[in-house]
Amino acid sequence: MLKITNLKATINEKLILKGLDLDIKPGEVHAIMGPNGSGKSTLANVLSGKYGYEIEGEIIFNGMDLNDLKIEERAQKGIFLAFQYPLEIPGVNTNNFLRTSLNSVRKARGEKELDTLTFLKLIKEKAKELNIDEKFLSRQLNVGFSGGEKKKNEILQMKLLEPKLSILDETDSGLDIDALRIVADGVNSYKNKKNAFLIITHYQRLLDYIKPDFIHVLSAGRIIKTGNADLGEQLEKTGYANLS
Amino acid sequence: MKQNYDFDIEKIKNLSQEEKVSRQNNLDLFYDTGFPSKQVEDWKFTDLNLILNKNFEKISNEVHFEASKKFKAIENFEHNFIFLTNGKIISTNFDHEDKSKILIKDFNQEEVKNINPSNALTLLNSALSSGGFSLEITKDYKLKKPLIVYNCFSQDLKNKILNYKNSIKLNEGSKLTLIDYSDNNNQNNFIKNTVDTIFLDKNAVLKNVLIQNSESNGHFYKYIKGSLEGGSSYENYILSSGLKLNKIEIEINLNKDNSSCSIYSALNLLEEQHQEIKTRINHNSPNCKSYQKIKNVLNDKSKGIYQGKIFVEKVAQKTDAYQLSKALIVSDNAEFDAKPELEIYADDVKCSHGSTSGSIDSDAVHYLMTRGISKKEAVKLLINGFLNEVLEKITNNELKIFLEKILERQVNGH
Repeated sequence: MLKITNLKATINEKLILKGLDLDIKPGEVHAIMGPNGSGKSTLANVLSGKYGYEIEGEIIFNGMDLNDLKIEERAQKGIFLAFQYPLEIPGVNTNNFLRTSLNSVRKARGEKELDTLTFLKLIKEKAKELNIDEKFLSRQLNVGFSGGEKKKNEILQMKLLEPKLSILDETDSGLDIDALRIVADGVNSYKNKKNAFLIITHYQRLLDYIKPDFIHVLSAGRIIKTGNADLGEQLEKTGYANLS
Repeated sequence: MKQNYDFDIEKIKNLSQEEKVSRQNNLDLFYDTGFPSKQVEDWKFTDLNLILNKNFEKISNEVHFEASKKFKAIENFEHNFIFLTNGKIISTNFDHEDKSKILIKDFNQEEVKNINPSNALTLLNSALSSGGFSLEITKDYKLKKPLIVYNCFSQDLKNKILNYKNSIKLNEGSKLTLIDYSDNNNQNNFIKNTVDTIFLDKNAVLKNVLIQNSESNGHFYKYIKGSLEGGSSYENYILSSGLKLNKIEIEINLNKDNSSCSIYSALNLLEEQHQEIKTRINHNSPNCKSYQKIKNVLNDKSKGIYQGKIFVEKVAQKTDAYQLSKALIVSDNAEFDAKPELEIYADDVKCSHGSTSGSIDSDAVHYLMTRGISKKEAVKLLINGFLNEVLEKITNNELKIFLEKILERQVNGH
C-alpha cells in the first residue's frame, strides 16, 4: 500500500530524514518509535504533504507517486493524518467542517454528497461510538476542547473519512487512561484487512491497546531497527540509548 | 475642474413654492463645496469626488421609470415587507401582524429638514429627496415577524442619483426587526443617497440589518441618525458586501439613561469594492452602553475603512463603551484603514477600543486541506468563520439561520 524508498527531507536547509525505507501492506499496523528529534513528526508531515519540505526519494501509495498529489488529493485518495496538536479554528462550526470534509472526499471518490439530515444521522452514530458528546459537534472546531476531546475528534474524522492508510502522530500524548482506551477501541474497530496504520509514538503505552505487527525505531532520520511487538517492551526497559 | 453633475429642483414634481426655495437653498449650499474629496476630514479615506469623476458622466437627478409590481420575495423565511422601487413605496404587506398597530405611509418631505448642515451628502439629499417611507409602531406592540424593506431599482439609472429619506419611529415598549434589503444586480453605475432617521421611545427595541443581495455597480451612501430614549436599544448588523462603493454613516444619540446600541459588521470585499463604515456614538446621558464590532475581509484590490468615534458628555457617568475592529487581509493589493477616536468628558467611564489586522492562518488552511478540502474551500471556510462570529449574539434562531445563509453567500461571492 505504501512503499517509501530512500526518503530524504530537508527543512530550512536542515536534513531531517536521511534515507528512510518503509513498506506497509494492507492489514498491517506499523509503529514508529524513537527519541525526540529523530524525525517522527517530519515523516508524518511529509506524508500529509505539508509545505516547506524539500523531498528526495520515492513515496508510492497504491501505485501513485505521492509527490504528484496535492494535500487534499492525498486525503481524498485515502491518506489520513491524525495530528499531534489538532488546530483550534475559531468561527468554524465542527459539524459544518466535518460535512464539508466528508463531502469533498465523497465527491472526489465519485460518491454522492450527503445532505444535511443524512449527514447528521451518520455523525451522531459515529460520535456515540467514541463517547463524544453531541454538543461538541455544534461548537467551534476544537476551540476550548480538552486534549482528550481534540484527539477523539481526530479519530472521529478518521472513522468518517474511511481512509486506507491512517497515520496517528502521537495520538496518545495528553490522553488519560480512559480516553486512551476509547481512542484505541476506535482504531481497533476500524482496523480490517484492507486498511493499514502507521502509529507514531514515544511510548509503549498505546501499543498495549493497539497491537502492532511491526515496530521500527527511528533515530537521526533513519530506521535503525525493526522488530515485532516485543521490541516495544524491550525499549521500554532499556531505552533508545542502548540500541546500536 | 469641470463639474460632473447637473441637478435641477424643477425636475421634482408637486413642490410648493416655499419648498422649492428651501430646497434650492440646500442645493446652493451643496454647490459651494460639491462632492467631498479627501481634503475633507470625514472623507479622507473615501475620495468621493475622485471616485465619481472616474466612474460617472454628468450625474443628474431626473428619473422616469415604470415600476414593476412584481419582485422576488425571499422564500422560507416568514416576514412582512415594504417594497420600494427607486425609493418609492410600491406595495406593503403586514399580514403577520395586527395592522392597526402599524402606521406606514410615504415619507412626508416636510418632516425632517436637514439633519447635518456640514455634510454635503445630506444637504444634497435635502435638496433632491423624493420618495421613502415613514413607519411608526404603536406603544407596546412587538412585531411577530421581521420586516424586510426590499430596495429595488429600475434598469435605466445610468449616471443618475436617487435621494430619499425614511423615518422609523418605535413608540414606548415596541419591538421591531427591520431588514434593509438591497436587491439589485445593476450593471449601470448609479448613486443612492439616503437618510434614515430613527426614534426609539422608552424601552423600544430595534434590530436593523443592512443586506446587499448581489454584486452591483451601485455607489451607495447612507446616513443613519438614531435618537434613543431611556432603556431603549438599537442593534445594527451590516452585511452589505457586493457594492462597488458603499459608505454608511451611523450617528447614535444615547439621550436617556440605560439606552444602548450595538453595531456589528461582517464584510467580505472583493475586486475593487470599497466600503466605509463611519460611526459616531454620542453618550449624552449616564449609564448607557455602546458596543461595536467591525469585521472586514479584504480580497483582491478591495479597500475597507472603519472610522469610529465615541463621544462621552460630561454628564454621561458610568458609560460603558467598547469598539473593536478586526481585518483579515487576504491579498497584498488590498487595504484596510481604521481610525478609532474617543472623546471623553466624564470621569467615571469604561471605554475601550482595539484594532487588529492579519492574514489567513496557513496552519489552519493546511489542517483543513488534510481533510480533503481544497485550498479555495478551506480559505472560504476560514473567512466565513471569521465573519460569522458577529452573528453569535442573535438569539432568534430563524433570523440567525437566515443571516448565516446571507453571509455564506457573500463569502462565496454571491
